[in-house]
Amino acid sequence: MLAATELAPAAERPMLVASDIHRHFEGLHAVDGTSIDVPAGKITGLIGPNGAGKSTLLAVLAGTLPATSGTIVFDGEDVTSSPAYKRARHGLVRTFQLPSEFARLTVLENLLVAAPKNRGDTLLGALRGRSYWIEDERRLVQQARALLKRFGMSAKESEYAGTMSGGQKRLIEIMRALMLGPRLLLLDEPMSGVHPKIVLEIQHYLEDLRAEGLTILMVEHELHMVERLCDTVVVMAQGKVIGSGTMSSLRRQREIVDAYLVG
Amino acid sequence: MDLFVAAFGFGLVSMSVIAIAAVGFTMQFGITNMINLAYGEVMISSAYVAYYLNRAGFTIWFGMVAGALFGAVFSFLLNRILYAPFLRKGTSHLGMVIVSLAVSLMIANLLLPIVGYFPVSYQEDPGRLIRWGSIALTRDQFIIIGIAVVLMLAIHALLTYTRLGKAMRATAANPTLARNCGIPTQRVIDAVWLITGALCGLAGVVAALDSDSFAIANGATFLITVLAAAVLGGAGQPYGAMIGAVLIGMITELSAAAWSPQYKEVVAFGILVLVMVLRPQGLLAKRGALAAAG
Amino acid sequence: MNTYYAVNLLVYAGVDIIACLALNLQFGVSGIVNFSFIVFQAVGAYAAAVLSMPPDTANGGFQHYIGGYELPFPIPWLGGAIAGGLLAIPVGFVVLRKLRSDYQAIALLVLSVIANAVITNADKFLGGAAGIALVPPPLSDRIDPNTESYQYLYVGITAVCVVIALVVANRIVNSPYGRSLRAMRERELAATAIGKNPVQLKMTIFIVGGLIAGLSGGILVGFIQVWAPSVWLYPETIILFAAIIVGGRGNNIGAILGALLVPVGFEEITRFLNNSPSIANLGPPGLIPALQWVAIGLLIIGFLWFRPEGVRPESRRVFEGAPVREDR
Repeated sequence: MLAATELAPAAERPMLVASDIHRHFEGLHAVDGTSIDVPAGKITGLIGPNGAGKSTLLAVLAGTLPATSGTIVFDGEDVTSSPAYKRARHGLVRTFQLPSEFARLTVLENLLVAAPKNRGDTLLGALRGRSYWIEDERRLVQQARALLKRFGMSAKESEYAGTMSGGQKRLIEIMRALMLGPRLLLLDEPMSGVHPKIVLEIQHYLEDLRAEGLTILMVEHELHMVERLCDTVVVMAQGKVIGSGTMSSLRRQREIVDAYLVG
Repeated sequence: MDLFVAAFGFGLVSMSVIAIAAVGFTMQFGITNMINLAYGEVMISSAYVAYYLNRAGFTIWFGMVAGALFGAVFSFLLNRILYAPFLRKGTSHLGMVIVSLAVSLMIANLLLPIVGYFPVSYQEDPGRLIRWGSIALTRDQFIIIGIAVVLMLAIHALLTYTRLGKAMRATAANPTLARNCGIPTQRVIDAVWLITGALCGLAGVVAALDSDSFAIANGATFLITVLAAAVLGGAGQPYGAMIGAVLIGMITELSAAAWSPQYKEVVAFGILVLVMVLRPQGLLAKRGALAAAG
Repeated sequence: MNTYYAVNLLVYAGVDIIACLALNLQFGVSGIVNFSFIVFQAVGAYAAAVLSMPPDTANGGFQHYIGGYELPFPIPWLGGAIAGGLLAIPVGFVVLRKLRSDYQAIALLVLSVIANAVITNADKFLGGAAGIALVPPPLSDRIDPNTESYQYLYVGITAVCVVIALVVANRIVNSPYGRSLRAMRERELAATAIGKNPVQLKMTIFIVGGLIAGLSGGILVGFIQVWAPSVWLYPETIILFAAIIVGGRGNNIGAILGALLVPVGFEEITRFLNNSPSIANLGPPGLIPALQWVAIGLLIIGFLWFRPEGVRPESRRVFEGAPVREDR
């Protein structure tokens, strides 16, 4: 069995290097000594059976769950001890498996709220009044509308996000993450509970984003989706990485096939 | 020194009273996920039910049974008529806390014109003093301790050995999963409200008996003591509530001896603050105050 | 309608509006269920009182309290506001950092009950159960408070404070910062994942709310000239929650409307009923006030069931240049 680091492409520095991550819940080792490299500019898939610790690992990488032990280096910077909101501001942005829109904010507001660098987004800035921040706001509205247009949701901008369909909520969440200008996007099953038509759409958007140089790590269940979309795939089982490489190379590895791909 | 030994004796009684109340409260929360802020008012209502029966010539022991029955029916109806419909509507945990506080306010003020502001007490001969060194407790106080011990063992047996108890624990851990496994969660929850309501009602009578007199305003003080014990032990954890009751009961009585009985609730509150700062999940909790409200 | 009655009504309305605007920032906009809100108003009132009063040895020493600085207006009111803001720091530190939101609510409720019990029992600190009396009205050294013009002046100053509170609340609610607060209210974890620091947001708005609540206490105590634990029992907070729920959570106009409908409205009903002896003496003593509290409870439950968004729901923000909705 090869460690993830040995398979990573040597040419480029990985966007994220997580080493020996442990996450324990009351004696349950959800993530149990996992190391993973996320190569820059690629889509990395994270697969494994239910309860393998994929979502937990994603949460630990994003900082929404603290790691019990281990180190996380993001783009050359050790972020192990920085809280989730700081990691997000640094460009390490996650989405959630369950819909997590801000229901009583409009679609446009869901995007705007994520934008950094708005002078009106501090108490003192807000108290100085509209004229102090309106320029920033206008710029960000334009940016957000461009995203909405690209994701085909312009017509919905003034609707409450809570009234959108499951697939639209996924898109909102991805757009919201993009508003932060991420360098690494952590997607937790972005296709789950989504209409098949929108699954294809999301797939195209993700491919476009990769073409623009964005790095993505995604947890995904659908193996043919992973096969089509992901450049490299990491397989987890019982809190450990049991293999990584391209999907076709993984299919040739006996224990991985036994552990997951067939079962 | 004798003062503290005597206070230790009172602490034993206090912890017994608190344990009965806190176990009921914490089971309500642990299994139905409902922080019922009307708990203290249901306690005091039950105490008054026993009071009126007592005045009509019944013994306080009969009053205890009646108080427990009243508490059970009242809590059951409260859930069926108000809480359950709100929960089904998808009201958030926070919304439910507000609803239960509004209910608490309503119970207290519906009761007030009936019972009046003035403190009352049961007509009950507390029995002869039984001395053991500096500890001197009445027969009634010994009986209270006995009732609490029996109830705690009964709760333990219920949760450990009966089908209902196991179904309760499964429902507490994951209601959806429990339902999918064929557990009739609706009936389990009804049973929980009946059982915890009975504990609540009984605790109200016992608490009123243990204090020289009681009044409508005691509903709030009951609630605070119960909250302190439940949170200290780890909210939703019956055994935690027992430990919390032991600690709160003993510490408040000892501090009353050392300082002033006026500040019993303040001491309980101090403990609550310390727990919230140092160990918000409580002493025993697996999932406690830290878990995201789902 | 005589002057005294009108002034009384207007000042109470102003105080309740300011309090509701503050609570709306915390509860309506940010989702912090501050069940100890009234404590912040009370601390502001006590602070304004002792800042404006002479030492307790004056007046024959019939009451006991700390301080007594005889400071001129507006220092006592500012001091009241600052006291409310300062109190929010330790309370927020204990309650808002780690606890889950429903625990925050019960912790704050318990704080409210206990704070009242402590002040009631501590006779020498702030007058104990009897409270503090003879608080000098602001500017009373220069203008006779018993004149009609002084009464209108008080209404005027209160109105200025209402405007300040409303401007502050509006600027926060309608800004990108307010949007961040609303996002946190909707889904805290998701807000964290887009770079918001919920603890900082909550602490900040808790302090802002505490400042405004403290100011409302200062205004009130300068007017009624007495303050005691019996006026800030925890159910007083529930009235304000009822106001916000009725008016419309997250909407400042709703908060004002709620303040006028619930606390001011109930105050007026009480007075009306007290003026008609046939009703006031109905049933056992205390029946009418008790039924009012029952009505407050019913109002909360009724609105949460039938119209949880309130009379004036939070407004949906439509930005300029937005495409017209298909359904319009």
